[in-house]
Amino acid sequence: MIRLVERMVAFVPRKSESKTEVAAAQVPGQVQRLSLFGPPLLLEGEDAAAYDELLARMCAAVKPVDVIDEMLVADIVALEWEVLRWRRLKRTLMRQVALKALERFLIDRLESNYALHEEHFQSYLTEILKNNLPPEQADSAETLAAECTPNTDEANDKLGKVLSSLGLGNNVLDDARADKAKELAHEYVRGERDAVTLVNELLTDAGVSMDTFMTKALRKRIDEIERIDRLTTIAETRRNAALREMDRRRAVLGETLRRRVQEIEDVEFADGELVPVPPPAEGNAA
Amino acid sequence: MTSERKITANRANARASTGPRTTRGRARAARNALRHALSFPVCSIPALSEEVETLAREIAGRGASAQTQELARRVAEAQIDLHRVRSARHQLLFDTLNKENYESYANMRMKVKLLRALLRPNPPDISMEALEFATPQGPDKLATILSGKAKKLLAMDRYERRALSRRKFAIRAFDAARARTATTRG
Repeated sequence: MIRLVERMVAFVPRKSESKTEVAAAQVPGQVQRLSLFGPPLLLEGEDAAAYDELLARMCAAVKPVDVIDEMLVADIVALEWEVLRWRRLKRTLMRQVALKALERFLIDRLESNYALHEEHFQSYLTEILKNNLPPEQADSAETLAAECTPNTDEANDKLGKVLSSLGLGNNVLDDARADKAKELAHEYVRGERDAVTLVNELLTDAGVSMDTFMTKALRKRIDEIERIDRLTTIAETRRNAALREMDRRRAVLGETLRRRVQEIEDVEFADGELVPVPPPAEGNAA
Repeated sequence: MTSERKITANRANARASTGPRTTRGRARAARNALRHALSFPVCSIPALSEEVETLAREIAGRGASAQTQELARRVAEAQIDLHRVRSARHQLLFDTLNKENYESYANMRMKVKLLRALLRPNPPDISMEALEFATPQGPDKLATILSGKAKKLLAMDRYERRALSRRKFAIRAFDAARARTATTRG
């Protein structure tokens, strides 16, 4: 059997190492035996330990009774893993597009409301000036940035001159705005209170919600989402079929076992029937 | 009810559908089965055939009758076949994910189209959104691969479905035989 396991492991070249193989001695016997049906088919970035945990939990719950049962358990785990993979992928794709849409929305909002990112722009500009000014002037970066950030004609002129003297383009403000929008969107997703309040206010003012962006995301990636949904359905259907098969086998096995027990009992009691012996009559006692 | 005219048309069409006619077409069609080799029975591949035998012995257990052994072999054959198909599909995804600059055909076509437009004497104004199809990474890459390789994946899925079906019926036949043996022994 060991030879077969080795061969099947070699069947799929894989970078991620599963603990099912590495620490076979540490896992329950059945989990170890399940490696008979090949190593887990994991993709880059997937957690082999999580797969093994799922397998161990399934084994503990199902308690496979023979090789075919183990085969079905391995199948259920592999298919469940696939279901989880596709669901995760769908969620990530939707969130990514929605996040991008939110970022774009925030860039527009910040553009029309300079006060919202003035402070961020100042620190962004300070950083740029520190990196580009000659070393002897680097200390004055903060002061210079403070002079250039107020949204006045004078400050804007000064900003233009400073940037052109350093050979930098005029898109520093745009970059800073995009940077702030990205930061804000990520804070919003993480649920940071200030960001959530601010973004919710901006969304309400504009008469939109996160659902608007999610709808946009769905519309943009509908083909990919549909394909992923199809893969999820296929894996779910196959997993359920394997579960049904296991149920059916348990019923057959249960019936066979019942019959065997009955037969053993019949054989056991066929020779000497257990007929209750009547107590001796009182007159014959002596 | 299907009309006589329709039946005649269907028959005429079917007679015309006889596969490729040119030598080149026939040569190409002859190589179809070699594309991923999943249509070869596992028993025709020595290494897999050996695995089938070992697994069949595990399934049948000691002292199994010739009939039980044969039924166990069918289960093992379907199982190894299933594993072969799943491994091939996994390998396809794995290898493509590892290609650093993987691009879907649709993405490549878009890039070429855009480049052509930009190289014209008066290039058009292109928005940032239009340029948003850089080489995909992470989840985007997997989604792109699923789209780009959809046809291949679909073909592999058909093999998987067949192997699953074969295994299901093989397991049922094996269980039924075992149940019969248990009754007979009793």
